Amino acid sequence: MPRRTVLKGIAGAGAMATTLPITRAIWAAEGKTLRARNYADIDKLDPGFYQNAYNVDVMNCIYSKLIHYKPGHEWAWELQAAESIEQVDDTHIRFRLRKGIMFTDGYGEMTAEDVKFSFERVIEFDSPVKGDWGPLDHVEVEDDHTGVIVLKSPFQPLWNITLPFGCGHIVSKKAVMEKTGDGGDFGMEPPCFSGPYVLAEWKPDQYVRLTRNPDYAGPDKPGFDEIRILPMDDEKTAEIAYEAGDIDFTQVSLASLGNYKQDMPDDTTIDEYPSLYYAWVGMNVDHPKLKDINVRKAIQWAINVPQIMDAAYFGEAKPATGLIAPGLIGHREKALVPPEGDLDTAREYLAKAGLDSLDVAIDVLNASQWKTMAEVIQAQLAQIGVNLDIRVQDSGSFWTMGMESEGERWKDLQLIINRFSMVPDPYYATEWFTCEQVGVWNWERFCNERFDTLHEEAVAVSDPEKRGAMYREMQDLMEDSGAYRFLTHEAAPMMYRTSLVKPALRPDGRPLYRFFETA
Amino acid sequence: MWIYFLRRTVLAIAIVAIAVTLLRVMIHAVPGDPAVMMLGPRATPALIAEFREKMGLNEPFHVQMVTFFANLLKGDMGTDVFTGRSVTQIVMEQFPYTVELIFTSVGWAALVGIPLGCYSAIRRNTLFDKITGIASVGTISIPSFVMALYALLIFAVGLGWLPAVGAGEGTLGDRLHHLILPSLAVGIPWVGYTARIVRASMLEVLGENHVRMARAFGLPEMRIIFRYALPIAILPTITLLGVGVAYLLSAAVFAEVIFARPGIGSLIVNAVDERNYPIVMGCVLVTTVLIVVATMISDFVNALLDPRAREGL
Repeated sequence: MPRRTVLKGIAGAGAMATTLPITRAIWAAEGKTLRARNYADIDKLDPGFYQNAYNVDVMNCIYSKLIHYKPGHEWAWELQAAESIEQVDDTHIRFRLRKGIMFTDGYGEMTAEDVKFSFERVIEFDSPVKGDWGPLDHVEVEDDHTGVIVLKSPFQPLWNITLPFGCGHIVSKKAVMEKTGDGGDFGMEPPCFSGPYVLAEWKPDQYVRLTRNPDYAGPDKPGFDEIRILPMDDEKTAEIAYEAGDIDFTQVSLASLGNYKQDMPDDTTIDEYPSLYYAWVGMNVDHPKLKDINVRKAIQWAINVPQIMDAAYFGEAKPATGLIAPGLIGHREKALVPPEGDLDTAREYLAKAGLDSLDVAIDVLNASQWKTMAEVIQAQLAQIGVNLDIRVQDSGSFWTMGMESEGERWKDLQLIINRFSMVPDPYYATEWFTCEQVGVWNWERFCNERFDTLHEEAVAVSDPEKRGAMYREMQDLMEDSGAYRFLTHEAAPMMYRTSLVKPALRPDGRPLYRFFETA
Repeated sequence: MWIYFLRRTVLAIAIVAIAVTLLRVMIHAVPGDPAVMMLGPRATPALIAEFREKMGLNEPFHVQMVTFFANLLKGDMGTDVFTGRSVTQIVMEQFPYTVELIFTSVGWAALVGIPLGCYSAIRRNTLFDKITGIASVGTISIPSFVMALYALLIFAVGLGWLPAVGAGEGTLGDRLHHLILPSLAVGIPWVGYTARIVRASMLEVLGENHVRMARAFGLPEMRIIFRYALPIAILPTITLLGVGVAYLLSAAVFAEVIFARPGIGSLIVNAVDERNYPIVMGCVLVTTVLIVVATMISDFVNALLDPRAREGL
């Protein structure tokens, strides 16, 4: 190769190498751009058929709804598209829309007809989340901006789940009809927007890019010119990306939280929020080895929850008292079995069952956290003579193992460490543990008539005190059955760049990007 | 040569068909109803039934296979039941990212490994050879994900020279910038492999009669190496790199997850997790084709360079 050509090549490579860091510096210094991490990529943008909270995070920015969760540390809601909303009686809710909320792409102003269409299509098309709308009968349109939501029976979760979350978003009837022909699921192709941001670009598995909606005239002015949400499944990757300056907002793993508290990255704030998730050890009451309540109670009392918190959550999560997290209606101040348990009591229960030893198995998801929890429980149960076999399952297998529709595996299910997500209404927690759910999602096969009655009645009770007492009783019944040892609600620490962003989070740490502001 | 080409192509098609069929068998054997997994706990039985119908899960196995291959001939790999998007479109969006990652990694292996191995063989038993030997074994023994994590901590977090995550914004410069770390993490072990293989082959070839003859005729050393030794010594390396694509694909899975890059690896991991079978099938089909094509190319190159190889099949 001629020497001149070689020199040219070296010069070219040198120029490229020197320009790369500059390119990056320019990119990082661009205007008001927020780069945030989410744990999964979006896969549904039709609010009537939403599936996961990470989709709703984006929907919150691009659509409007009558009311929204108020950012902060206490659960409450505020008006958004509604100028007013009131519970006329147990089954009627009248709303009045703000004037001048416009849909993009020439689809005009948001009307009560759009509200009616958005809510009724969830029922009409048998959406997977039609349960959110519970007993919705129909929506009456009184004029362009006023309507009445008519329920078949009282339904309190409407104020905590339905209206301020996924199904509460309002879409343009005209736009959706044009797009789908029948008003059904439009999947990932929103025909128009009504929030302070619009979906400018979605690059699957790379990012979601939201930009300011130029037609938006509502009260919540967008804080950023652009919000870029990057899907990153791995928390550690997200933490490295944050430290490298590639993202400005992310959840922190509990494993890293202690280190970060000791050695905080520059220009960083960490806010800690309790999560709504609930994790528990469940016991299949129909399994021959666990049929005797004394055996189950022995296991309950032998499990020391703070020890599990230390090992699996690095001491950063608190023991739970039940299904319902602090701050929500129905939260119990204390569990029936103390968090530390008591080995003597456990041994007494085992003796009552006529046993001095027992072999049982526990099924857990194949992630290190769950395996650690199982190993701690294994050591704890060994102290009372219970030998625990740990069976690790992949997620697909795990999440169907208690389902009768999936074969006979439920018969072999003994102990299980389980974790469910939650939205801020207790109804959402207790609905999985009714008799109807046995063999569906109720894998402990706990069935209690009183529990079911309370569950049915509590959705209709508007007095928070009375309603709370009902849910507390339900959790007492669960725990008293011996089938449950409640572990934790986990925690949701969030890390962000102090000089760049002033985040707005729900009380469980879920980001409300719509209200994020520049610092 | 053409008969060789034809036979290899027929064999390649058979391999792809067998791989896809085996995968489908495994999908049927694995517990977990994909419809339940995808629709979530609140789906009604009617919706689950409709969904199963839409995914073709109610059909007998052989009907599912025939339908899949028939659609495949039309370029249709099905529909992602989550997003409603075409699987072909989804897979083809991600495929270039994996291909560029794999081939850049192979590029590292070839561009660095071959000269290193070659020079080590020429300078056998010198300090350079010994250092190269230690470094090669060192890189081979470090798993890709460990390499990826340390590369991230050093070059992205510590020095801030390179981005930690993503694949770039579309401009070539930015994409290359985002490619350096992942490809380095995936490719570095192969630099070591390649260097060791090239060195061993070169030492063998340099001791053969035709090389000794060339030296006896007084040909320049560089000409002997590049004209008479390296073309023969490189053959095992070409085979290695062809087969290496399969290994690099699995390493790419880690890299794509750790560097939060798009690509077939991260797509397939998520799809398996969610029991999103149309995507799993599409990804496996494409990766099988990639491996088969890479192996075929390396066989053809071998056959071109060494006529004896054409008689191998």
